[in-house]
Amino acid sequence: MRKVFSVIVICVALIVPFAMFEVMPQIGDPNSAPNSHVSVHYIENTQSIANSPNMVTSVIVDFRAFDTLLETTVMFLAGVCVMIILAGVYKTKKRVIDPGESKMLRVRSGEKVFRSINKDVIITLLQPMILVYAVYVLFHGEVSLGGGFQAGALIGTVLLLDAMAVPDKRNFPNITKGTSAMIAGIGTFIYATAGILTLIGGGLFLEYEKFPWNVPLLEQHSIGILMVEIGVTLGVAGTIVTIMNVLLEKVKFDK
Amino acid sequence: MKNLPILIVLLPLVAAQLCLVFSRIHRNVGRWLVITAVSASLVMSVMQLLNVIKDGPIHYYFGNYRAPIGIEFSIDTVNGIMLILVCVIGLLTFLFSSEFRVSSDKTIVGGMNTVLCLLITGLLGMTSTGDVFNLYVFLEITSLSAYCLIAMGGNKGVIAAYRYMLVGTVAATLYLLGVAVLYANTGTLNMADMAVLLNEGDKNKAMLLAMILFIAAFGIKMALFPFHGWQPAAYTHAETSARPLISGVMGKIPAYAMFRYLFCVYGTDFKYFDFILDVLGVLSVCAMLYGSIRAMGQKDMRKLLAYSSVAQIGYISLGFAIGTPLALAGAFLHMFGHAFMKAGLFFCVGAIVYRYGKFSLEDVGRLYKKMPITCGLLVLAALSMVGIPPAVGFFSKWYLGLAAAREAKWIYLAVLVISSLLNAVYFFRLIEKFFINPDKGLPQKRERGRIEASAWILIPVIVCFVAILALGLCNAKIVDVLLLTLGEVGL
Repeated sequence: MRKVFSVIVICVALIVPFAMFEVMPQIGDPNSAPNSHVSVHYIENTQSIANSPNMVTSVIVDFRAFDTLLETTVMFLAGVCVMIILAGVYKTKKRVIDPGESKMLRVRSGEKVFRSINKDVIITLLQPMILVYAVYVLFHGEVSLGGGFQAGALIGTVLLLDAMAVPDKRNFPNITKGTSAMIAGIGTFIYATAGILTLIGGGLFLEYEKFPWNVPLLEQHSIGILMVEIGVTLGVAGTIVTIMNVLLEKVKFDK
Repeated sequence: MKNLPILIVLLPLVAAQLCLVFSRIHRNVGRWLVITAVSASLVMSVMQLLNVIKDGPIHYYFGNYRAPIGIEFSIDTVNGIMLILVCVIGLLTFLFSSEFRVSSDKTIVGGMNTVLCLLITGLLGMTSTGDVFNLYVFLEITSLSAYCLIAMGGNKGVIAAYRYMLVGTVAATLYLLGVAVLYANTGTLNMADMAVLLNEGDKNKAMLLAMILFIAAFGIKMALFPFHGWQPAAYTHAETSARPLISGVMGKIPAYAMFRYLFCVYGTDFKYFDFILDVLGVLSVCAMLYGSIRAMGQKDMRKLLAYSSVAQIGYISLGFAIGTPLALAGAFLHMFGHAFMKAGLFFCVGAIVYRYGKFSLEDVGRLYKKMPITCGLLVLAALSMVGIPPAVGFFSKWYLGLAAAREAKWIYLAVLVISSLLNAVYFFRLIEKFFINPDKGLPQKRERGRIEASAWILIPVIVCFVAILALGLCNAKIVDVLLLTLGEVGL
């Protein structure tokens, strides 16, 4: 009875919004409300006010920068939550049997029985290239596609590859979960610092024109956007590494 | 002075971001950093409320982009008072939590403080914002940290948190769908601008659809009657040190957001306004009866209080359903009062757990001899819930009943009285267990020659005791301040 009732409720809840779908405007209608009110202002002023040819960047880190600060904080919060739940509440179970010398057990437990050029050489070659690309994406976020979130994800990927592909040979220093969560926190703090500096300069929060140093107005917007992107990069990379570290403590991959 | 609205939210946010760094030095350094930040927010929110009363509402524009372009914080007397409430209970919870250490690891203790502080940040932000998408982001921070704090409460806590997470994600999605419908019809995300644009032209159907989505979304978040399924388990099994904040304030802020949408964005000119209010009224009447009846059968103190919360949330939405300024003032007074009552009761439960480690009602016989102050707050909060003057519960119910009688909604008045009597049944049962049942001679968890729990637990208990009485005695002043804003938006 309870199941039937809930299925009926779900069906009604799905059908009613679709039946009322005419409340939404046509796709691509130039005269619809979303295309004729605030967005016009964003499109027309992105170059002259925010000094960024990339409209998406100018909206998310200039016109509505406060939302992005909080989204970055959500990311950091997710990392901290995973860390304290998995590391705080439960003890690690030893799931993988130690294979010792037995070759059959080594195969079954996924331990490495042969070497391969993919794992040992190509990863080492790929990592610096991905890092260079990450830096490129980071500094290009302001003028073209890219930005802090993508750059952070790329840096996180490098460390992920490093930890997972060849666990016994680390190319990068091992970062513990506490340190990486701390880095994520510092990253979001750099973002907030952009706002705090504008407060010190006598402006409102995240009003980039009021930075306390003396450069042309449009340059100040660029500095603000760059600062935000660096903060976001550190925040995202730190979060990815935190989650990876916590999970790696729980399971074992092949050695 | 002009930056007060952002500083109130920014200080806890920055403290949370840096808490892990400072916890590296010693695990208590991070905690004191956070406590300092929340106290500073408390002082500033009091200053801000005084400014608002003197000079009228404050509008704060981020990045100096005017209203529909950028994000806006708008503070009036209602959310001015709510900010103080969140800061006070957040601060008390932090003091209280210093006695409950989840782990000896510095990183994990620092992480707990970070998450608790971000919960306070999210609640403060949801209260002050004037932008519908900004509200969603703060809602996300609030929910995520709440899932985490509930999951920290052990094995059952993880299950409760998982259920809450599934339901809560649905709520967040429904909210975003509602925002999408409104955005498609107005092209703006600013609440004040949206209120103007929604009244132009015929948008009633879209508004109705969006409102139904909002009621479902905020109903889930505030645990209104048919959406309350996650709430009893979550309140019961949450981490002890965070429970007062979760149970006391977390359900109230979505209720406040629902009020914003109903009365500030939509306004009384909306064609289906009476229909929406009737739906809300039916739900709250069911909640008041159902929550009280379920609470009568509980043996676990935490569960009893959790079901009682379902009923009390019903009182708040009943105030919205009546819709006159007086009823809204009653609903908000009940919100403030209930935050202190429920947080106070959970501080008492925490004190008992701290000393004896027991939750069951059967174990607490004659506890008043051993913990007189805690039991004093317990009795006062219980009487306030039932509605005995001069505690705040009486006055909020009085305003609600008065408004219902003026609008000739006799069913609401009858249910208000019946629900109060049911409250009396189970709260007097609670008092009986504490005062009349024979002493079980419980073994103490901590063998020290003290009469009460430690000082950090007693401070919140005493503050809640004073606050319940003070809110009750100063109710006329508070209602006057609330009516400065509510007088313009009610029916």
